[in-house]
Amino acid sequence: MVKKLLIIVPAFNESGNIKTTVQEILSSQSVVDIVVINDGSTDTTAQEAQETSAFVVSLPFNVGVGGAVQTGFQFAWKNNYDIAVQVDGDGQHDVSFFEPLLEPIRQNKADIVIGSRFLKPFLGYRSSFVRRVGIHFFAYLISFLTQCKVTDPTSGFRAYSRKAIKVFAADYPYDYPEPEAIMLAKRFGLSVMEVPVQMRKRAIGHSSIRYFTTLYYMTKVTCAILLNIIRKKKVIEL
Amino acid sequence: MITIKILVCLVALLLLALVIELIRREKLTFKYAIGWIFVLVLTIVLAIFEKLLVNVSQWFGFQVTSNFIFFTMLGVFVFLCLLMTVFLCQQDTRNRLMAQKIGMLEFELKELQKKINQHKKDS
Repeated sequence: MVKKLLIIVPAFNESGNIKTTVQEILSSQSVVDIVVINDGSTDTTAQEAQETSAFVVSLPFNVGVGGAVQTGFQFAWKNNYDIAVQVDGDGQHDVSFFEPLLEPIRQNKADIVIGSRFLKPFLGYRSSFVRRVGIHFFAYLISFLTQCKVTDPTSGFRAYSRKAIKVFAADYPYDYPEPEAIMLAKRFGLSVMEVPVQMRKRAIGHSSIRYFTTLYYMTKVTCAILLNIIRKKKVIEL
Repeated sequence: MITIKILVCLVALLLLALVIELIRREKLTFKYAIGWIFVLVLTIVLAIFEKLLVNVSQWFGFQVTSNFIFFTMLGVFVFLCLLMTVFLCQQDTRNRLMAQKIGMLEFELKELQKKINQHKKDS
């Protein structure tokens, strides 16, 4: 049985990036459905996305990357996709790594596969020094708490099984969601795995995490991760 | 002493009238106004029968009755603030869910329209 594959591309004010991202995905995978979640962009992101063959779901206002990605999961669940891949709209993620990302899901080895920049062999851009320190901190924290080795918890380059799609369509953290989502996945008994990938520097624009918000980001995510320990364990049936 | 009584009663009555007027103009729903009405009526009752208030505050061990009033008010406001935050979070979540639903529905509507147009062209 061929598994239906959906690529989820959350995009907020990514005009200039979004078209190239979609075209890159299309050139690497011949038959694939792409859904661009336009998260209340104020620029021409929606129009640019509509010029491609991707589906475009526009949210009426900005709900944050978590809410946007969750919309993608809801779309995938409703339209019966078996595998979803999350790719950021800014062109940071190298689409030539789709296959290694998808392989464990296809073979039912994992429910979530994270593309990690910090797994050997090292393959290029690995973020600035300060950011790397933060990422390693979260990596150790989550690895310790979940007893499951994670090296790049902030990576948004991920593949999800049908089970993970169902979980996240109903419940997904909404600001700075990536590290917390791993905790959530563990709470639902989903298996998480990492594969080495390459990422690039952003082509145009800024990351959503800037200097002034760094402290808030670190505190918020740490608290959110810790809070996940005392929240109830849940079970999901498929 | 009697003037304070009158002052408190007057202010409470004024607020009560305002709350009722707001309900009449449909700016407040009864659900949210009931708490205000209850507190204001209680204030008037306690202002008239002040002995009751003094007794209660002495029973709790307050030396000055006004301290008891301040303490109670602070407690009520902290609780109210927490309640409001809970409401805010609830609204926030609902808002987000609504946005996602609207996005999906809009998409489905467009797809349907495309299909209809295609059908018209074909026939």
